[in-house]
Amino acid sequence: MNIALLTSEIAVLVLGLLIIIFDVLIPRQETHRSLGYIAACGVLAILVHSMTQYGAAATVYQGLFVVDNLALFFKQLFLAATFLTLLFSVEYVEKWIQNSGEFYALLLFALLGMMVMASANDLITMFIGMELMAIVFYALVGFELRSKKSSEAGMKYLMLGAASSAIMLYGMSWVYGFTGSLVLSQIAVKATASPAMLLGMGLMLAGLCFKLSIVPFHMWAPDVYEGAPTPITAMLAMGSKAAAFAVLIRVFLIAFSDLQEYWATIVSLLAAASMIVGIVVAIWQTNIKRMLAYSSIAQAGYILSGLLAGNVAGVKGMLFYAVLYMFATAGAFAVSTAVKNHNGSDEIEGFSGLAQKSPLLAVVMTISLLSMAGLPPMAGFVGKLYLFTAIADKGYLWLVILGFVMSMISVYYYMLVVKTMYSKARDQQEFVVRGSLQVVAVISLLASLFIGIYPGPLAKLANFAAQALW
Amino acid sequence: MLQEFGNVGLLLIVALVFPLLALGTAFLLRPRDPGVEKSLPYECGVDTVGTTWVQFRASYFLYALVFVAFDVETVFLYLWAIKFQELGTFAFVEMFIFLSILLVGLGYAWKKGALEWK
Repeated sequence: MNIALLTSEIAVLVLGLLIIIFDVLIPRQETHRSLGYIAACGVLAILVHSMTQYGAAATVYQGLFVVDNLALFFKQLFLAATFLTLLFSVEYVEKWIQNSGEFYALLLFALLGMMVMASANDLITMFIGMELMAIVFYALVGFELRSKKSSEAGMKYLMLGAASSAIMLYGMSWVYGFTGSLVLSQIAVKATASPAMLLGMGLMLAGLCFKLSIVPFHMWAPDVYEGAPTPITAMLAMGSKAAAFAVLIRVFLIAFSDLQEYWATIVSLLAAASMIVGIVVAIWQTNIKRMLAYSSIAQAGYILSGLLAGNVAGVKGMLFYAVLYMFATAGAFAVSTAVKNHNGSDEIEGFSGLAQKSPLLAVVMTISLLSMAGLPPMAGFVGKLYLFTAIADKGYLWLVILGFVMSMISVYYYMLVVKTMYSKARDQQEFVVRGSLQVVAVISLLASLFIGIYPGPLAKLANFAAQALW
Repeated sequence: MLQEFGNVGLLLIVALVFPLLALGTAFLLRPRDPGVEKSLPYECGVDTVGTTWVQFRASYFLYALVFVAFDVETVFLYLWAIKFQELGTFAFVEMFIFLSILLVGLGYAWKKGALEWK
């Protein structure tokens, strides 16, 4: 067994434990801000270290835990997402949250869960990773103890999340019962299109779609996104979703790859429903977090459509899109966090006059939203192009046309936010933005533009990672 | 194919019918003899004192959680102890890493006052 392959996971765990110990050592009245920066620096160091792990294709723990380029790609995505979230959450945590040390440590444990999910090569490891992530998120969603909405969101997420886990486990038990194995490659060998297998596969798809907030399993998303502390909402949209996609890609393209004719129709309908519902319902939202929740439902639909291609091009499109969506989400939520810190509100109205008070943040928000909408030259355009060409090759032209029309509609509500930002300010209060939040805003801005104008390097990396499956 | 789906459907029907059947039979067969004594809340056969609709302190759950964590730890320790000689130094170190992770958690809970009954 090669422990060196697990260094990233071990480092994240140790970092989380260190944060807990430091939290106890720092006197209660002192500021715990430094813990956020320590965590961010640590995550950045692990991210840099993980660059050296590319090229390995090995398994640990008797093949239950796989370290390949695909897993590594996702892990770097989670590490980058956590790094950005930690940086822009420091001021928010100081202002709205007690027990800030715990907050940072829990965020790192959620990251650990996601990393395990990305590497899982059997159903139980996958489930353990997923539960580690989910249980931490149940706590974090309700972490704003003074806010009733936050507690309500935490409770809702716990109830529905537990139900979805149960459904997923039930599906796994069917699959195990009829193939006699939990290891993905073994399932692939023995999988036949018997009704029991299809039932198990369907139940597992439902459980995963809950985590991805795919219509019709999306009902929790708007309420939970609205109630959760803003950095956690960002993490749910960037990390939790990408982790579920990591599992989905592995399970459906390895274990159930022979059953594609059975799941393809359902997946295409789920993707289409998510695009339509996510985008149409978002138009009426007045709360920025609710709007971004619906928008993330639609984005999940776009990414899910890449699965239909069932080849390297499709997975490459999914990976590429997941990264650019991560950067766009980080930008949008960093700005929302700054606005909430400023006036204590999540309403889109609260953004009025942002362009005068902080031109940088207004530009970041605009670019992030337009990147999600898929306008050139932002990254979202290239991402959609990759996804759509991959599935159009496989004959899903109707889905491509639907996706195209829907992204045109989405421009409308994204522009409503932009319009509000560039309208006249309501108050004359000075707008203070902390340096670390500005760093995140600038990174997100540069990444969205760079990937959009020069997609080559990231596309190559995504292609490289996608090839690990075949 | 269709017949195999039929088997799954049959299981579904049995799963739905069985609880109804069991409860329904009990409903039909049981003697109907209501009394005040019978509608009282049941607490180990002891008469309840005061109102039964009271709120329980959240601290209960903290104790329960800490208890479960260490309960599970004992389960792992037991298996580890049985196979200790075959496993060697690596497992010894591994178990201590596991224990220290749990100890950090306990230390944290202690220091933050989670174990005090307020």
